[in-house]
Amino acid sequence: DILQWPQISKCRSPEMETFSCFWTAGNFYNLTVPRILQLLYKKSNEEDWKECPDYITSGQNSCYFNASYTSVWTPYCVQLASKNEVYDKKCFSVDEIVLPDPPVHLNWTLLNTSQTGIHGDIQVRWDPPPTADVRKGWITLEYELQYKEVNETKWKELKPRLSTMVPLYSLKTARDYEIRIRSRQRTSEKFGEFSDILYVSFSQIGIGCEHCTEEVEFPWFLVVVFGVCGLAVTVISIMLSKQPRLKMLIFPPVPVPKIKGIDPDLLKKGKLDEVNSILACHDNYKTQLYSDDLWVEFIELDIEDPEEKNRASDTDRLLSEDHLKSHSCLGTKDDDSGRASCCEPDIPETDFSASDTCDATSDSGQFKKATEKEEDLLCLDRQDNDESLPSLARTDLQHRHRNTQSENSSVWAPFEDSVESPRLSVHTQISNQNSLTSTDFYAQVSDITPAGRVVLSPGQKSKLGRAQRAGCTEQNFTMDNTYFCEADVKKCIAVTSHEENEPRVQEQGYNEDGYFTTESLSTTVANLGASTAAAPSSEMPVADYTSIHIVQSPQGLVLNATALPVPDKEFNVSCGYVSTDQLNKIMP
Amino acid sequence: GLLLVALLVSHMLLIKEGVTSLPICPKGSVNCQLSLEELFDRAVKVSHYIHFVSSEMLYEFAEHYAQGRDFIAKAVNSCHTASLTTPEDKEQAQQIHHEDLLNLILGILRSWNDPLIHLASEVQTIKEAPETILWKAVEIEEQNKRLLEGMEKIVGRVHSGEVENDIHTPWDGLPSLQLADEDSRLSAFYNLLHCFHRDSHKIDNYLKVLKCRLIHDNNC
Repeated sequence: DILQWPQISKCRSPEMETFSCFWTAGNFYNLTVPRILQLLYKKSNEEDWKECPDYITSGQNSCYFNASYTSVWTPYCVQLASKNEVYDKKCFSVDEIVLPDPPVHLNWTLLNTSQTGIHGDIQVRWDPPPTADVRKGWITLEYELQYKEVNETKWKELKPRLSTMVPLYSLKTARDYEIRIRSRQRTSEKFGEFSDILYVSFSQIGIGCEHCTEEVEFPWFLVVVFGVCGLAVTVISIMLSKQPRLKMLIFPPVPVPKIKGIDPDLLKKGKLDEVNSILACHDNYKTQLYSDDLWVEFIELDIEDPEEKNRASDTDRLLSEDHLKSHSCLGTKDDDSGRASCCEPDIPETDFSASDTCDATSDSGQFKKATEKEEDLLCLDRQDNDESLPSLARTDLQHRHRNTQSENSSVWAPFEDSVESPRLSVHTQISNQNSLTSTDFYAQVSDITPAGRVVLSPGQKSKLGRAQRAGCTEQNFTMDNTYFCEADVKKCIAVTSHEENEPRVQEQGYNEDGYFTTESLSTTVANLGASTAAAPSSEMPVADYTSIHIVQSPQGLVLNATALPVPDKEFNVSCGYVSTDQLNKIMP
Repeated sequence: GLLLVALLVSHMLLIKEGVTSLPICPKGSVNCQLSLEELFDRAVKVSHYIHFVSSEMLYEFAEHYAQGRDFIAKAVNSCHTASLTTPEDKEQAQQIHHEDLLNLILGILRSWNDPLIHLASEVQTIKEAPETILWKAVEIEEQNKRLLEGMEKIVGRVHSGEVENDIHTPWDGLPSLQLADEDSRLSAFYNLLHCFHRDSHKIDNYLKVLKCRLIHDNNC
């Protein structure tokens, strides 16, 4: 057994008038000759140790100092000793050891009950401990009340307060409560002992409500769970929904890189003249969009090109291969009269008169320009044989409705975002088609007729062999984003080509605006491409020019279905408009 | 003159009827006078606050600097106010005349005016003194001044006879706060804080006793 020495456990003053010290005797007491423990004390201003005046009043192993022995602000030292041995010593002053007795005479009264009778308010009162002289202000006490339901384990605490009454609100009348209070001197930290427990039972005073239905606690957990599930379902449904608008509202598309100097807002607002003014930076190009007809906007092309000036007619120009300035990558030899090669000063002008061979750099340059060329709202030749083009550019190539014109006309798809990806594929395509035709990804607008038609660079005559392709797709394409020429949409344009597969434009390709975004176009085209796997050798339909038939800003432009009068060709619907959405997508 | 008489009369009437408080004087008012009860209320609040802050300061100081040092307070006799005979228990506090007690309180407060100023300034020079201790030192010095003013007002109201002599004790402990030896210096600080802790408790208690006696007729 461990030997425990006698120890002074604590000294306490309940009211700052008397104090007592308590000790434990330890267990050595039994082992050796029983010793008599003494408690000696000394005030700080005294020299001698004196013995405890009262060993009895506070119980066993205690020493009680009554009021005459107590000086409040005087330091004391007490020591536990027996004969010559000092076992423990403590020094303190009485004001530091004040621990009041518990309050007495706890009682409660009903203040009121709720209308339903389920809850009630009570007022709890008590008296200060009788030993503490609060009335004369010798000691100032604060009280802390704790309460709980009878079958609970945790006590609820109220803030310590000076008053001897406190209301308790909203207690359940169906339950019984327990209340206990303890006090401390206001300037101390330690509380005294708790009072006796006060039992509160509403049924005893006749307002207990045992038959009241238990109030269901608000099922927060269920609310949270169902809320989260609902939200998840909503999000998933939005993501999976085909509603583009809703989708774009909730999940807006990530903006694509912008073109310097061109504000897509301008396009949105339909202020093409401003756009054109921005774009028309090059000397060689003039663009003029507006004519008398409000509905028609034209892209005026620069005809200062000496070569072009030599053209006898627009048609010739269109058809002439000499002026092909199309993407050499595409193999076209269109005049790049309307293309983006003009506008941006920082855009390196590609040599459009290059040969059919395309190299990557020029490709990219041209592509860049192509995409920046907002006015090049032209249907793209569809390159059916190039199924590997998944992009929009490709879509444009596989243009809905084909003009039968020469493939020299390069169709420009101002789909910038498609530039990158289709570049290679276009490349391939071009190389594929080099022999056949100049693949027209873009058609450059070389002029605008007074009638309001956009004259595209001459399509490739060599492509005449290629029939017009119907820009129809057999399949259902996603309507939301595809561009379709009106004519296309209205009918499938039969292409007099020796190609087999000509998917038909399905009329359900309509969207309400009569045109479709590039995405759908591209999707469609992709589908087309996929579907027309069998036509490898088909030349891509010549690029299309279209005149802008309708400007429905900010939604986009509907290009005129009527194409330029190209002999031997059936100009089908001049599709190739790019809706503003697509433009915006392409554009930065 | 008439106004003053009217004020006095109404004041006495109100006190007799047990009205607990008169409207508080708005700022800038010249003739407004707080009731004695209001003055005592405020004095008790300030004295309680001073004791509270000094307790915290003592505790923080001990915690911060006590490592390795034994801050057992030296004999209380070392407090410079020990020469003032103050009531040491309830009996003595009951028996002392309220004017004497008020003067005693004033004496203690005045005795601490000087040491607190020096405490506030010297504590700044302690190495790595926490911000809270610095702030508290300044706070108790300011509040002590406030309490002193309030007590002088109360004494002016309550005192019927001539103002007794100033009974405050001088303090010569400044050198001990400026000792070169850090340990000794910190001990000196601790003792001073401990002495003030005790004296502020005394003042708080005496004021409460006086308040209950004078205002509430021993029936707080």
